[in-house]
Amino acid sequence: MASIVDVPKPRVNCSMLSQHINRPVCFVGRVEKVHPSGSAFTLTDGDGKTANIELNEPLEEELSGVVELLGMVSNKGVIMATTYTILREDKGITFDLELYNEALKVIHDFPQYYPFEMAASG
Amino acid sequence: MSVRLTAGAIQDLITDSEVTNPVLQCLKMRQVANTSGPTRYRLMMSDGRHSYSSFLLATQLNHLPENNLLEPNCVCKVKKTTTNTLQDGRRVLVVIDMEILQSGEEAGGKIGDPTPFAADGMTTSPMKASPMKTSPFESSPMKTSPFKASPMKTSPFKASPMKTSPYKASPSKTSPYKASPMKTPPYKASPSKTSPYKASPMKDNSSPAGSSTKVIPIASLNPYQSKWTIRARVTNKSNIRNWSNSRGEGKLFSFEIVDESGEIKITAFNKEVDKFYSLVEQGKVYYITKGTLKVANKQYNSLNNDYEMTLHANTSIVPCDDGQDIPAVHCDFIPIAELENKDNNDIVDVIGVCKSAEDVSRITTKSSKEVSKRALHLIDTTGKVVTATLWGEEAEKFDGSGQPVVAIKGARLSDFGGRSLSASFSSTVMINPDIPQAFLLRGWFDKVGFKLNSQSLTETRSAGGNTRINWKSLSDIKDEQLGHREKADYFSCIATVVYTRKENCLYKACPSDNCNKKVIDQQNGFFRCEKCNREFPNFKYRLLLSANLADFGDNQWVTCFQETAEVLLGHSAETLGQLRDTDEAAFDEVFQRANFTAHIFKNRVKLETYNDETRVKVTVLEVQPIDHREYSRRLLSNIRQLAG
Repeated sequence: MASIVDVPKPRVNCSMLSQHINRPVCFVGRVEKVHPSGSAFTLTDGDGKTANIELNEPLEEELSGVVELLGMVSNKGVIMATTYTILREDKGITFDLELYNEALKVIHDFPQYYPFEMAASG
Repeated sequence: MSVRLTAGAIQDLITDSEVTNPVLQCLKMRQVANTSGPTRYRLMMSDGRHSYSSFLLATQLNHLPENNLLEPNCVCKVKKTTTNTLQDGRRVLVVIDMEILQSGEEAGGKIGDPTPFAADGMTTSPMKASPMKTSPFESSPMKTSPFKASPMKTSPFKASPMKTSPYKASPSKTSPYKASPMKTPPYKASPSKTSPYKASPMKDNSSPAGSSTKVIPIASLNPYQSKWTIRARVTNKSNIRNWSNSRGEGKLFSFEIVDESGEIKITAFNKEVDKFYSLVEQGKVYYITKGTLKVANKQYNSLNNDYEMTLHANTSIVPCDDGQDIPAVHCDFIPIAELENKDNNDIVDVIGVCKSAEDVSRITTKSSKEVSKRALHLIDTTGKVVTATLWGEEAEKFDGSGQPVVAIKGARLSDFGGRSLSASFSSTVMINPDIPQAFLLRGWFDKVGFKLNSQSLTETRSAGGNTRINWKSLSDIKDEQLGHREKADYFSCIATVVYTRKENCLYKACPSDNCNKKVIDQQNGFFRCEKCNREFPNFKYRLLLSANLADFGDNQWVTCFQETAEVLLGHSAETLGQLRDTDEAAFDEVFQRANFTAHIFKNRVKLETYNDETRVKVTVLEVQPIDHREYSRRLLSNIRQLAG
C-alpha cells in the first residue's frame, strides 16, 4: 500500500494549506507550543503564521527548533502528521526559515520549472 | 502616581535664577518650519503654577518628539537649558538636555492650573507688560498671539520659527507673517541648523573666563551672530603648515573642538598661528570667543558642521579648568558592513577590534618620498572585516598585540580591493579609546568575535579592485568568450570538483623563501635551483593540481597552485609528498575524497598560446566554502529579476 513517503509531497507553508486539503504535504516550521498531551503542537512558518499539527501517537521526545514533517491536511486545515524530522541546529548554522519561505514562494510561483509531481510519478 | 512639578521653576528659568533639573509638564508642542535645516520643535511648558510657550527644543533632542517620547502632557525633567534674548527683549529658553519622566497618558492631563507667565519687567517691550496678552494659546483663534503681533512687524529677527502663530493658527491674521520667511532679509533665512533665535545670547563677552558668561553650544554657531562664547575640548590639532603659492605665502594650523552639542574645525593663519599654536593643546578644554564663522570647505573639512571657524586678531582663547562634562571626542561610527553602501572617498568614523595587523612596510611614493605604512584588519559586531591603512609615524608606532580596539575618526573610504580605509592626514586614530562603544566591542569580541570566520570587504588578493564579485557559470566561459581579450578576465563561480589528477600533481621546489622554481635533481643528493643559482641538499614539495570542475552548464579544466590545491585536498603539500612515498592507498584516498565537493571558486581566465596552440587557461585564485544562505539569496534575487 502506498505510504506517504512514496508519494510526491509539495512543500507548503500556512497560506498554502487551504489549497492542499486532503492531500499529503511537507511542512517546515519552528515549534511554538506543544500540547500537554503530546499529541498536538503548533508550528510557525517563515511568514510568521501558525499551523496546528496532530499526531497519531504522542511525542516521545522533546520537540523544539525547526521541524520538517510529512502529513495530510485535514478539512479543517490541521496537518495530521505521520512522520517528522528535527533539523539540527547545533552544528552552528541555523535554519533560515524566512529564506526557506522565499524559496517556497518561488516554487509555487513557477510550477512549470519545478515539476516535482511529474518527476515522482514518472 | 503623579509626579510633582517644580512650582516656580518657570519664573526661575526666565529670570535666570538658579534652578536645578526642574520638573515641568509639556502642555503643547508644535513643529516650526525652518527655511533650511532640521525641524525645530517649540514647546509650551508648565510648572503647575505658570506656563510659558517660548521653549525651543535643541535639534539634538528632535528624536524625542519624533519617536513620540515627547508628547503633549508628558512630564519631563529639564536638565540643561540656555536662554536667548531676542532683540525685543523676549526670552526664549532652549532645552539642551531633557529626560522624560512620565508619558502624556500616565500624567493624565494638565497638572495644576498654570497661568501663562508674563515676563514683566524683563524687557522693555510694552507688549510684554500688558496683561491683556495673557494666554496666547487659550485665546480664541481670531486673536493672533500678541506674542507675535507687534514685534514681528518691526524686528526682522522674528523671521523663522516663531513666525507661525504657535498653537491656534489663525491664517487670516497671521498670514503676512507666514509669507515672510521667504521675504525676510537673507540675514535670517539662511542659517542652516542654528536657530536664528540664538542671535544674541551673550550679553557679557568681556570676561570669557568668568563663570557668569553664557556659553552657547557649538551646534548653534553661525556666521550671523558675533557675540558668543563656546567652551569645548580640542580633539585634534594639526602641525603648522607653510604654503607658498602665486598669491603669496603663509602658515596655518588647524584644530577641531567638540562639546556636548557637536564639533567644529578652527583654523588659524599667520599671526594667529604664533599667538595660539603653543597655547592650544589636544585634549584640553578652552573658552573661545570672537572667531569668524564661514561655510565649511568640505574639501579640507570632514567634520559634521556646516560651518568652520577662523581665528582673528580679536579672538580670545582661555583655558578652562572645569571641563569634565565635555566629551572627549565626537564620533558617528559607521558599522563596517555598511561601508559597502558608502561612496568612494567618503570620510567616515569607524571603530573595530584589530583582529590582525601586518608588519610595517616602507614604500616609495610617486613623488619619490619614502613612507611607512601598515595594514590593520578591523572587525566589528556586524562580523565584517575591513583593512585600514596607517601611514608614517602612526604606522610605525602601532602595536597590534592584544587585539586592541581601534577607532579612526575621519578615515577615508576607498574602493581599493573592494572597500578599504585609509587614515589620512586629518584622521585621528585612537587605540583602546575610553568610550562606551570601545567597551562594547571589547566585550563582544572576547565572547563572540574572535571565533568568527568573517568576510572581509577588502579582498587581499585584489583582482584589480572589483567592488562586486563577478558571478558566472562555467558555460559562460565559452558563451561570453571570457579571457579572449587582451587582459585576463576574473570571475567567481560555484562549482563541484569532479576529477582531480593525482599524477604529476607534486613537484620538488627550491627551499628558499619566495622561490618556487622547480629544482633539478642532481642525483647526488643535491638539488639545483637555476633561479637562485644554488644547490640545496633539500627541497620543499609544492602542489600544482589539475582538476576538472563542473556545474549545471559545463565543465572546465582548471589549474590550482599550492594554496588553493591544499584547500581542495585538505592536506599540505609536504604531507602529500610523504604520503605518496609511504602509503599509496591513503594518497589515492585524498584525491577520491576531494571529488564531488562543491566550493566557491575565484578564477582568472586567459587565452594563452603555447607552441602554436591557443587555449583558454583557467587558474583558481581562491577557494571558499559555499555560504548557502548568501547563495540562496542571490539565486532568489536573480529569479525575481528575471521574472520581471
